[in-house]
Amino acid sequence: MADSKLFETVSLDPAPVIEAYKKDVDLTLVRENLKLTPEQRLLKMISALRFAEEVRSSRIASK
Amino acid sequence: MTDFQRLLAALCAAGVEFIVIGGFAATAHGSAHVTVDLDVVYRRTADNIRRLADALSPLQPYLRGAPPGLPFAFDAETIRSGLNFTLMTVAGDLDLFGEAVGEGTYEALLRHSDERLVFGLVIRFVDLDTLIRLKRAAGRPKDLERIAELEAIRDESKP
Repeated sequence: MADSKLFETVSLDPAPVIEAYKKDVDLTLVRENLKLTPEQRLLKMISALRFAEEVRSSRIASK
Repeated sequence: MTDFQRLLAALCAAGVEFIVIGGFAATAHGSAHVTVDLDVVYRRTADNIRRLADALSPLQPYLRGAPPGLPFAFDAETIRSGLNFTLMTVAGDLDLFGEAVGEGTYEALLRHSDERLVFGLVIRFVDLDTLIRLKRAAGRPKDLERIAELEAIRDESKP
């Protein structure tokens, strides 16, 4: 079966705008994540999401 | 908050054929970003549409952002009549794609995906290069940072 338009028309070649954004990627976070299994990466993300939700819902109204 | 495990378990228990794309797939590949919803491409066969409707029915799916009280039933007929759905459920937000950007159907993405064991479930994730293609094809400014990170992950993963 032929590949869809996605594979025929969307290149993976370096794009200047993306290369510019790459300079700001925190590679220390990426490297730490790559040491984990996919499941560990997902659990870590869910844990961070849960923490953010808890912070959001624990806001105390100021006087 | 989206209960990713519950959504995935519901889909798997019903035997739904699907491929995870989007931010959740990015996380599985190593992204440090947080995502709040689950994006999947589902197979548009009659049997799979029926399984999808059965899987999600207990989770009370409703159109995200729509006013409450609409006569909306997420059944096989609704899925057949539509294509892509942005849903909220009792287990959180779920985006269903019959076709992702660039003719990204289940069949088109299948050989560009891999099965991974997560949460005790065998889940099919789109591969990293294809995820980058999907993000590039979407052409959204908000994705530029994500694409850069995914490409950095690809660079770091090279032997």
